[in-house]
Amino acid sequence: MIAGIIYKRALSDIRQNLTNQAMTILVVALSMLLLLFFALFSFNLRHFVEELGSKLGIVVYLKKEVPQESIPALYKRISELKGIESVNYTSSEDAFRKLKKYLADEQQVLEGVDANFLPPSFEIQIDRAVFNIERIREVAAELSTWKEVSKVQYGQEWIDRLEVFSGLTQRALVGAGLLLLITTAFVVANTIKLTTYARQDELEILRLVGATNMFITGPFLLEAFFQGLAGSLLATGIVYATTQYLQSLLSQHPLFKEVELVFLPLSYTAAIIGGSIIVCITGTAISMRRFLKL
Amino acid sequence: MKYIDSAIVKLTDVSKRYTVENLALHRVSLEVQKGEFIFLTGPSGSGKSTLLKLLFCAERPTEGTIRVDGMDISTLTPSQIPMLRRRVGVIFQDFKLLGRHTVFDNVALSLEVLGLKTSQVEKRVREIVANVGLIGKLEQKAIELSGGEQQRVAIARAVVNRPPIILADEPTGNLDRDRTNEVMELMEELNARGTTIIFATHDEKLFENTHRRVIRLENGRLVK
Ligand SMILES: Nc1ncnc2c1ncn2[C@@H]1O[C@H](COP(=O)(O)OP(=O)(O)O)[C@@H](O)[C@H]1O
Ligand SMILES: [Mg+2]
Repeated sequence: MIAGIIYKRALSDIRQNLTNQAMTILVVALSMLLLLFFALFSFNLRHFVEELGSKLGIVVYLKKEVPQESIPALYKRISELKGIESVNYTSSEDAFRKLKKYLADEQQVLEGVDANFLPPSFEIQIDRAVFNIERIREVAAELSTWKEVSKVQYGQEWIDRLEVFSGLTQRALVGAGLLLLITTAFVVANTIKLTTYARQDELEILRLVGATNMFITGPFLLEAFFQGLAGSLLATGIVYATTQYLQSLLSQHPLFKEVELVFLPLSYTAAIIGGSIIVCITGTAISMRRFLKL
Repeated sequence: MKYIDSAIVKLTDVSKRYTVENLALHRVSLEVQKGEFIFLTGPSGSGKSTLLKLLFCAERPTEGTIRVDGMDISTLTPSQIPMLRRRVGVIFQDFKLLGRHTVFDNVALSLEVLGLKTSQVEKRVREIVANVGLIGKLEQKAIELSGGEQQRVAIARAVVNRPPIILADEPTGNLDRDRTNEVMELMEELNARGTTIIFATHDEKLFENTHRRVIRLENGRLVK
């Protein structure tokens, strides 16, 4: 019963203080917008690094003395590793042929060279669905312990560098996110405090006719819930639309055709919306508590 | 120790000091019996409002003990105060209405805090507002009403939840003779139904011909 009345009071409050509500929602939306864009940037960078890594794949060079007969067994062993999408074998002769083709007119440099001088190799593509850089490292590390393997290559330097950068932005994101959330809590608390000051008389009257703290604060907390939800949804909508727009621009540009801009996964947006709601409710509760002590 | 106490309000040696030099009440002891209708009088500034405020916990006594409807006011925790206030209807000297809200909303407040159903709230608010002669202005904003009309809204809000005790602080201060008589009749009616009433007023005419008990304050002290 009380819940129904609190809901009713919250609705009529919102109707009577529309500008105030809109201001608070706007402030929440702006903070969340900053947070979302930052998250989007960081997430896309990570995505890009992983895409790149998965395209590079792993090349495993075998020792020359590995007998031809053991190749099928090796092939099978590699294919059975977790998260492998495809394995391609290149024999010494194939490698030599490829090189020859590549050199085309300058083939004479290969004259007198043994057709077996290049080591046989396997090219491995990691399954995109399960791809992550850790997995590539694991696979590479495991392969290099095999006695038939002489060398494992996987665009290590590139990935390492990009990963350090991506890790830094990730950490910066967490820091900036916390700061933004705290700022939002302060701003919301302040907005609510102004509202409660403006309505001090009303709250005093409620207390005098026997309203419990829950009855007084309930509608404000409910409003805070709506503000947090509306603000973050608004921000999410804007960021989503912007992502779509940028993607369409990129796909038209020949240079960036390959670059894929992705929107945040559901878990990120859900966390941001949830965080926004919690922050608004906390801010309201803090400023109400201060008021209720009067 | 259990004991049966017919006093619904009991003050024992109650003092209230707002500031170092201002002693608003000085060692006041008073008992009001269940169902009694008493007048509290005295010149302006004698402490009438202060005494009433102590009874619904708007102010805390500096010294002494107060019991209201079985509750010990001095040991009441903040979360128990709403329970006390639902048992005590207060007609404030300055009305304390929500100016931007309608007559209906103002009166309904006392019932909404109790968690009553909307249909019940509606019925009882209409009934009491008709009783104070304002049914035609039910949807008007409080701020648009005259002083006398606001006073009657304040009365309606104080009595709509049928509290066992009513504290009235100069409830006829803004009313003309006819309206004053109407309010007095309403109070008599409520008292006849068993409501205990403490009626603060500086207007001697209101109790000239009454058989009711009259308590007089002067400079914060009870006088005979
Ligand atoms: N909130 C307050 N702070 C300081 N002094 C007050 C306050 N309320 C009342 N007083 C003082 O207490 C005395 C009694 O006031 P009050 O109870 O309002 O008298 P009455 O209602 O009989 O006119 C007065 O001297 C008044 O100035
Ligand atoms: Mg007074």
